[in-house]
Amino acid sequence: MNAAVSVAGLVKTFGATRALDGLDLEVATGEVHGFLGPNGSGKSTTIRVLLGLLRADSGTVRLLDGDPWRDAVALHRRLAYVPGDVTLWPGISGGETIDLLGRLHGGLDPARRADLLERFDLDPRKKARSYSKGNRQKVALVAALASDAELLILDEPTSGLDPLMEAVFQENIREVRAQGRTVLLSSHILAEAEALCDRVSIIRHGRTVQSGSLSELRHLTRTSIAAETARPVTGLESLPGVHDPAVRDGRVRFDVDTDHLDDALRHLAGFGVRSLRSAPPTLEELFLRHYGDELAEDGVPLAAPGRP
Amino acid sequence: MSLAHPDLAGTGALVRFALRRDRLRLPLWVALGAGLVASQSVSSQTLYDSPVALAAYRASVGSNAATIAFAGPPVGLDTVAGAVAFEISASVMLAAALMAMFTTGRHTRADEEAGRTELVRSARVGRHAPLVAAVVVSSLACVATALAIGLVATATGLPVLGSFLLGASVGACGLVFTGIAAVAAQVSESTRSTYGLVGALFGVAFVLRAAGDINGSRLSWASPVGWAQAVHPFSDNRWFPLLLCLVATGALVAVAMTLLDHRDLGSGLLPARPGPPTAGWLLSSPLGLAVRLQRGALIAWTVSLALLGAVYGGVGEAVETLFADNPQAQIFFPGTSSAGLVDAYLATIFAFEALLAAAFAVSSVLRARAEEASGRAEPVLATATSRSAWLGGHVTVALLGSALLIAASGACTALVRAVATGEGSAFGRLFAASLAYVPAVWVLAGVTVALFGLVPRAAAGLAWGMVAYVLVVTMLARGLDWPAWVDDLSPISWTPLAPIESWTASAAAGLGAVAVGLLAVGFGAFLHRDLSTG
Repeated sequence: MNAAVSVAGLVKTFGATRALDGLDLEVATGEVHGFLGPNGSGKSTTIRVLLGLLRADSGTVRLLDGDPWRDAVALHRRLAYVPGDVTLWPGISGGETIDLLGRLHGGLDPARRADLLERFDLDPRKKARSYSKGNRQKVALVAALASDAELLILDEPTSGLDPLMEAVFQENIREVRAQGRTVLLSSHILAEAEALCDRVSIIRHGRTVQSGSLSELRHLTRTSIAAETARPVTGLESLPGVHDPAVRDGRVRFDVDTDHLDDALRHLAGFGVRSLRSAPPTLEELFLRHYGDELAEDGVPLAAPGRP
Repeated sequence: MSLAHPDLAGTGALVRFALRRDRLRLPLWVALGAGLVASQSVSSQTLYDSPVALAAYRASVGSNAATIAFAGPPVGLDTVAGAVAFEISASVMLAAALMAMFTTGRHTRADEEAGRTELVRSARVGRHAPLVAAVVVSSLACVATALAIGLVATATGLPVLGSFLLGASVGACGLVFTGIAAVAAQVSESTRSTYGLVGALFGVAFVLRAAGDINGSRLSWASPVGWAQAVHPFSDNRWFPLLLCLVATGALVAVAMTLLDHRDLGSGLLPARPGPPTAGWLLSSPLGLAVRLQRGALIAWTVSLALLGAVYGGVGEAVETLFADNPQAQIFFPGTSSAGLVDAYLATIFAFEALLAAAFAVSSVLRARAEEASGRAEPVLATATSRSAWLGGHVTVALLGSALLIAASGACTALVRAVATGEGSAFGRLFAASLAYVPAVWVLAGVTVALFGLVPRAAAGLAWGMVAYVLVVTMLARGLDWPAWVDDLSPISWTPLAPIESWTASAAAGLGAVAVGLLAVGFGAFLHRDLSTG
């Protein structure tokens, strides 16, 4: 089966600003794909190009085997979208908005709509004017999830939701995935991506910097080890993949590339391990590695990533 | 009440901040008022440079109800200065009222709706401070307008006392509408309806004084615009109407503060009613959405224009009386029948009503831009809705809505005339005449669509500039001595002056073709450009 989304070398400029600078993105059909990057890295711009709202300057963009600019209307029948900043018509109720978007999309399932309203605890009678940011987001989510779209494009859909509602959202995305539908989930909340995504693409300054499954990406990460040993540990420095070792009073701390974890642990075992603590690699760390230089430039002191 | 009162804490800082935000807007408004007066002063002194010319002017104006309906009470016309005040005061007072409305609304309800007031009020800022600061800023702008008008009128050679009284009367009108806007901002829950309410009240005030001035009755005293014009600068030079305006402003601001004390932040006076949990049949197409979004505005405009049409139709009778009572006018219009004069009056009325319909058409097309800029167009265009269907919805409302407005006001004018004259046939003739202006209005709508497609960010400013231009050309061009091409740029000028001139298929077809061409340009450009938010 073809990829749901296939983007290569996408460039989009606004005046002198190069918002997208050769971006690549590949979303396989049936997967939940995390689209990660800090604010202003080009996530929303990419999504707007995918929706045919913006026109690509160069590069190839395929969406559900179509051209998102030329075949916009036909493609939109098969996808549902939740914008990052949901603005609604102040005088129109939430329920009306859900129905409107559903009808314009080509129909929505009333039973699923009722179920979603219940699960998201949303009052459809309220006018949009009186909704909070989270509730406006729920309106857009219910409209998208109640449709039968084969591709869901969600732009930071949980930024206004509380933890309870975020759990409801994750549950819904798992159901969508179980139905074999595809989800492109843009986020800068890494825990969310780790919880939901099969694969992620990390972008920065309008370019893709990493892409792959979470386990593939973890190979690029480091595990933090803290141990107490019977004898002082020596020779760590000469091991491949070990970073920043610190030995003091029978305690040792170091980071190790996940690929070399096995060697490091064998070496450690030779000194009589009394206790061992390891912090698993997180996307957070990967993220910080990619953006660390930026933070350092801005004068933000960098905590050793992944260390508890 | 001193500024030390806790409810007013922070007022000074908010005033300075508002002046900073409006550092470009307010000078432009003041310059607009002063510029209108200066231009009128210079051109009137050129046109009526001899006693004979002035006498002719006095005779023609004294018998022209349409002029009185738009300008004000025909007093002081024995001097050029009086003629300047008569011709320009209504336009400048409209500008001052709009300035007051936008300034007061922008710093009260608009900030509150956007959530900015909440942020400001969370600081050490008293409950009344944002409202009082808005009133102070608007009042300062009114005072500046008054002084600027006094200065330019004096500088162009008009008597000093009258010049500053003319300025003061314009400023006083602005002050009353500052108060009215302050109250309206408390009553309604959205900025849009605040402006709608103030605009409607200005319309009522203007019609009341028009009816009062034509009949020479006390009805003008029911209107704040009537009070301001009762100053009679350059002739009676009365001060007490200014006092009346000040008292009214104070009372209105006090009412606004009381209302503010009795409502929650972010809400209006009336509690928000829940909406339906599911959508009705209307909300199932882009056109349905456009109709739903513009329904309230369309109803308000239709009712207002129908009432205006009826009032101006009723005034037709006074045109005949004025003509019959004015032997001088009969000398200056030899061979003119009173019926011909009524038709000339009605032609002006129909053109004016068409301009109001054009203002609706422009605001209606610009609704599409507002939807795009706010990000609300995005989720709709991400559904199986094509761009042309989405824009087409708003444009359909603009075109059919403006035609409906012209038909409603024209039908009411025609009906009232038919009843007054007892000639049933007058209805059909006058109704048809009013419809002659539809193609010209559609051209203006077409220009707005083209602007929306080509230069979305500048579209609103350019489109409203166009409306102001056409308004000035239609209402003033004959009084001001401008070259012909200025007049020719306005599509209203290409329309035969029905009912004096007869409707021609070629003019209508020509304007229709231009409108279609402009629509094609607008749609074509929109289909090929990026969506631009913000």
